[in-house]
Amino acid sequence: MKTKKWRFMSVILVFFLLLAGCSYGGDSSNSSGDQSEGEGTGSDPKKGGKVSIPIVADPTFNPWHPNAYAESNVVNRVLFSGLTQPGKDLAPSPDLATKWETSDDELEWTFYLRDDVLWHDGEKFTAEDVAYTFNEIVLNAELGANNSSYFQKVKEVQVVNDYEVKFIMESPVAALPAYLSFNTEIVPKHIFEGQDPWELTSFNKVNPVGTGAYKLKSYTSGQSVILERNDDFYGDVGLLDEIEYKVLPDVNTHVAQILSGELSIFALDDLASIERIEQADGVSVFGRETPRFFWIIVNHEEEKYQDKRVKQAILHAIDRQNIIDTVLKGYGTIADAGIAPALEEYYTDDVARYDYDPEKAKELLAEAGWTDTDGDGIVDKDGEPFSIDFKIGIQGDLEAVSQMVQQYLVKVGLDVKLNAMEWNAMIQDVVVNRNYEMSLNWWRYPADPDLSAYMHSANVKGNNIPHYQNPELDKLLDQGAQTSDVEERKKIYIEAQKLMAEELPYIFLWYPQEAQVRIDKLKGVPDLAFGDALHYIHEWYIEE
Amino acid sequence: MCVKHTSIPNKKYSGGDEVLRFLLNRLGQSAILLLIVTIITFFLINLAPGGPASTMRMDASPEERQAMVEKLGLDQPIHIRYIDWITNALKGDLGVSFTSSEPVVQRIAERLPYTIELTVFTIILSITIGILFGVISAIKRGKAQDHVINFFSVLGLSVPAFWLGLMLILLFSINLGWLPSSGVGARGADFNFWGWISHLIMPVLILTTTVLPNIVRFTRSSMLEVISQNYIRTARAKGAKESIVLYVHALRNALIPVVTIIGVLIPRLLSGAVITEAIFGWTGIGTLILEAARGRDYPLVMGVTVVITVVVVLCNLIVDLIYSRIDPRVKNV
Repeated sequence: MKTKKWRFMSVILVFFLLLAGCSYGGDSSNSSGDQSEGEGTGSDPKKGGKVSIPIVADPTFNPWHPNAYAESNVVNRVLFSGLTQPGKDLAPSPDLATKWETSDDELEWTFYLRDDVLWHDGEKFTAEDVAYTFNEIVLNAELGANNSSYFQKVKEVQVVNDYEVKFIMESPVAALPAYLSFNTEIVPKHIFEGQDPWELTSFNKVNPVGTGAYKLKSYTSGQSVILERNDDFYGDVGLLDEIEYKVLPDVNTHVAQILSGELSIFALDDLASIERIEQADGVSVFGRETPRFFWIIVNHEEEKYQDKRVKQAILHAIDRQNIIDTVLKGYGTIADAGIAPALEEYYTDDVARYDYDPEKAKELLAEAGWTDTDGDGIVDKDGEPFSIDFKIGIQGDLEAVSQMVQQYLVKVGLDVKLNAMEWNAMIQDVVVNRNYEMSLNWWRYPADPDLSAYMHSANVKGNNIPHYQNPELDKLLDQGAQTSDVEERKKIYIEAQKLMAEELPYIFLWYPQEAQVRIDKLKGVPDLAFGDALHYIHEWYIEE
Repeated sequence: MCVKHTSIPNKKYSGGDEVLRFLLNRLGQSAILLLIVTIITFFLINLAPGGPASTMRMDASPEERQAMVEKLGLDQPIHIRYIDWITNALKGDLGVSFTSSEPVVQRIAERLPYTIELTVFTIILSITIGILFGVISAIKRGKAQDHVINFFSVLGLSVPAFWLGLMLILLFSINLGWLPSSGVGARGADFNFWGWISHLIMPVLILTTTVLPNIVRFTRSSMLEVISQNYIRTARAKGAKESIVLYVHALRNALIPVVTIIGVLIPRLLSGAVITEAIFGWTGIGTLILEAARGRDYPLVMGVTVVITVVVVLCNLIVDLIYSRIDPRVKNV
């Protein structure tokens, strides 16, 4: 009997020893990896090393491909370059173009290009590449290129000489240089010419050729993309040896990996774990302003929402600061209109504001004819109770936020039914079919105050999802879009913000701050949102 | 053909015919099953709300969405698209992935080896430990060892994989820094043995905790049944050593039902442990399913479904064949 007991114990022991042995192995491989990284930094303290960035899916190395989502953007921004890029003040600054000017009628923009740019395969970059990218890909309506809607007003792009192009416009677009800095990278004509740009898998999935500070070293589907320094880069050559993008679909893994030092930087969407990161050693969180705003939309096709008092009542009913403090952990500021504080030049808070005041909300509803006549706790009008079908997509903290909104609205007598849907199903229902009454989401836009896409009556079939139509706002938006004089534009957009805050085309909630998570060893990252800071990746370095 | 030998020798020829007939019969059934599975899957995913055009960025314009729909041929009626798909599939062409424009077959072939890797390690670990613990628990029935093993079995079955996975990452990767928290390790030129094993440990451990208890409990109950049989008593009575009685006489027969459960577990593992693979960034079939579903990549969903169905059918077939080999009483008719 004794021997059997021993046998049992020894089996257990062997099992754990086996585990421990394996763990030891893993340890040694890890530390050897770190050492080789350390050796690279030997001679010059700033040059060498690598950063690791998470992406949630395989990227497509073609900035215009309809499948190029966020995970592709963060790679393409480094592989390729645009004519302009967001400056450190977010205003468009030179990249492939050194300067630009517009004709007096603003129907022609001339961009002067650098003459020292090489593609990663050694070919020379010229105006032909710019003209090809726009005329054959972006402006080809059949292709439906990503973000091509920003360039609807561009008629064509003409080559003046090898290093000069002209954008011929149908009507003035003051924001053109800003649009050109937003996921608008130039692709090589010598590779794409005569090919279907979406089917060119040898480029889009295998071997992209860009002009950026880093070029592709290796790509393994589902695992990683590794970029290496481009020593022929036209700007300051990068300091980091390599940029590694790790394909990690689960965001919990991102948090775990930055805490274990396997990742270097990313923007955290779900703030639930932010406190753990803030407390951890060697990792810091930075709040960064971004041109985004969260909103509730109501379908203006429905009569009851044409009364702006109903929308104002909804705003008074919601304790936005409380949601910002609890769900967003403080990473956000209350929004009054759509233009975010990130656009310092244009932003103003001198507009109508709606404090948390449920009594005021009830008063406004009563003024609009909605009172609780039958004592069931729900306001009604002409015998109809105010019930709302509230459809949202499940993503990040949208559901948590919407549940709080629902609670607040119920308190003032609105019967809100929350319908949290799978993301794609929500897009189909709310965005494509417009089959909704109320929804909650957010917009991110290029660093320009032109919000026509979201609230101009010309776009009710496009991204003006709330079907808001107001000639007064249209006029201001048109003026702003066509005026490139900054002082003049400021005045127009300040007026537009006052109007937005009063009329509420969207029920503005807050301007979220990006929670940028970064290891402390990583230096040289400018004080910008993660996506914008990627334009300056050649300045990043690792400090041991 | 090895199955032939399992039949009773004087029926050698008819036995071979039986196996052949059985095989043909089963393959015929499988083909019909496969067809039904593809029809159901095809219509389900195509009728699910939110098509490939809704996976585009939220601010994509209606024109951009329309261009996508036309490019992917989704403006065609659904039955025509199915007929197109099945005709090509019969020729071995599973189409091109919507999201990556690469052939579906290629995408699956890239990922399958990783899942097979996980499955093989998990099964080896689970079978060896599972049978061992199952036997111990059976012969020590009611004793401390039995209770301890039972306790951990129930624990393993009840603890959700995603939670345990995150806890392991917290312990081994963040606090102790011993193991990499995700990925499959360097392959090809940079391959190194410990790097490979260290990436395998946690996912295999998680999968093992979900599979192992099944094997332990099956082995235990089947062993208990066997050791109360008369022939075991006879073996003991004729003076055979206890270890011979247990491992030679009892275990062989006790393992028959265990083969069945392993046959069920293998396809489950091969079809991708979605959650485990996602947590550990293991680039197998599980993460591919996730990507396909998330991107509304219809051809990829169909391709993975076909492959998984084939795997399940094949595994069942193999289990049935093995069954008749280890238990001559079972006839495949």
